[in-house]
Amino acid sequence: MSYYAQLLLNGIVAGSVYALFAVGLTLVYGVFRFINFAHGELIACGAYFVLFLMAAPLSLPLLGAVLPALALTVFVGLAQDRYVYKPLRHQSHITLLIASIGLSFFLRNAIQLVWGSDLQTYGIGLTRGVSFFGLSLTWIQMVMGGTALFFLSFLYILLTRTLLGKSLRAVSDNMALADIMGISMKRVGRAVWLIASVFAGTGGILMAVDTNLEPMMGLTNLIKAFAALLLGGAGNVWGALIGGLIIGVAENLGVAFFSPGYKDFVSFSIIILMLLFRPRGFFSIAGGVR
Amino acid sequence: MDYALHILILMSIYSIFAISLNLELGYTGLYNFGHVAFFGIGAYTSALLSISGYPVMMSMACAMTAAGAAGALLAVPALRLTGDYFGVATLVFAEMVRLFFLNERWLTKGPMGLPGIPRPSWLNEGVAGMPIYLLFCLVLTSGVFLLVRRLTTSPFGRALKVVREDEYVAQALGKSVFILKIKSVAAGSVLAGLAGALWAHYISYISPGDFTLNETILVLLCVVLGGRGTNWGPVLGVCMVVFFGEAVRFLPIPAGFGRFIAPLQGMAYGMVLVLMMLKRPEGLVPEYRR
Repeated sequence: MSYYAQLLLNGIVAGSVYALFAVGLTLVYGVFRFINFAHGELIACGAYFVLFLMAAPLSLPLLGAVLPALALTVFVGLAQDRYVYKPLRHQSHITLLIASIGLSFFLRNAIQLVWGSDLQTYGIGLTRGVSFFGLSLTWIQMVMGGTALFFLSFLYILLTRTLLGKSLRAVSDNMALADIMGISMKRVGRAVWLIASVFAGTGGILMAVDTNLEPMMGLTNLIKAFAALLLGGAGNVWGALIGGLIIGVAENLGVAFFSPGYKDFVSFSIIILMLLFRPRGFFSIAGGVR
Repeated sequence: MDYALHILILMSIYSIFAISLNLELGYTGLYNFGHVAFFGIGAYTSALLSISGYPVMMSMACAMTAAGAAGALLAVPALRLTGDYFGVATLVFAEMVRLFFLNERWLTKGPMGLPGIPRPSWLNEGVAGMPIYLLFCLVLTSGVFLLVRRLTTSPFGRALKVVREDEYVAQALGKSVFILKIKSVAAGSVLAGLAGALWAHYISYISPGDFTLNETILVLLCVVLGGRGTNWGPVLGVCMVVFFGEAVRFLPIPAGFGRFIAPLQGMAYGMVLVLMMLKRPEGLVPEYRR
């Protein structure tokens, strides 16, 4: 019994990080109406920038490297928008989609060029777990869960209690109407990319601390974020959060039943099933960020 | 000289692959981001059958059937989705197929791959057989090219284009959009299976790593670069991409820089994809519109 409880706990921790990825993806979808394939590379960028800052010339400690790394990730996110997506905003979705696939391929190869394609770690070493009720939790897992909780509550306050959050929701509801009402699209657009990049970067760093870094990490996690987005319904921030948790739990419980080689199959099957039966998600809304 | 033959064979096989994607993506407007799955199914089917002793020509015919059947089976549920979602469903399908190749060791030997795939029996072994194999590929490629050109200039092809431009118009004209799309996907998958089988028998060793998202992006690049919805576009795109890819080997590259080549190439491909979308979304050979 406690074996399954442990898997459940691990799933919740992993799921809270997936939620961070999914929230950014779903915000971008809610406002700009396209699936940003290069979102995965923002995840990888966050993780690799920390590695870069911790390496020889600067050799910052892990905690000191996090903030500058996030700043660099935000820079990449804003540059994506400025040089690729903004000029294409009035083109068809498909043009945007192909451009984002190209961009993701470009960034993934750039990461491979600089850091190579081998597995790497921050080299923090193993930490001792804390046990309670027959379950164990490592410090890293606690930090993962805590950080995710912090960021998501911050987002909740931002969306519900501030003017910026309100205009963000208005834009995703009806872009033309929001524009007419005098909401600055520039400001909202920047805020969306900022949130998406910071969340993706943070999640990437947490993942890298827990496991390791490799150039394909962006794509792997993008697929999970996408499954979470679909579970919640595209554009639904809280749906994405719950979706992320469900994916994390399903994946970790799945290990008890299938061979670990098929771990990713869980999110794939969820994507296919959701697309076929509930393409609007379980908490279906007509559209927009709620 | 042998190397030139090798490049021509690759161009010929990839042309079939690109033409098959163009049938779906260019003519019918279906954004299939998992086209490599059918290439892979074709390659594995033909390889497994011919290794266990069946004649090569028969294995190739089975490969085409298997790929076509898989395509039709995927299309029936997936075509309920539109635009971006269809793209994601096919992308996920391709990843699932790859995981299947990777994990079902009893059938595919997993990551070790399948070595020693026989060439057709009427062919000489090794390099001596290359000119004949090239001829064989060229005959098939021209056949496919002419067939697809015939298809796309026929009333059926015009109906496909109507579906791409506006589904409601197609419906109003009494065309079944669903049937047309299924036919298009099935035909595209059969041809991709043929390309996969040809490739497997030429390379004589396949492994799951040959059928990743990267291959889909590469063939997508060929189609987009050449020109979507044209007959010559994909062929031109393939010639340019393969030539560029292989020509790099002849550059005087200082020792020690070898590991930078593949990522740089990938970056160039991604960059071209983004630039094409930004500057010339219709491709080098624009579609003729009256």
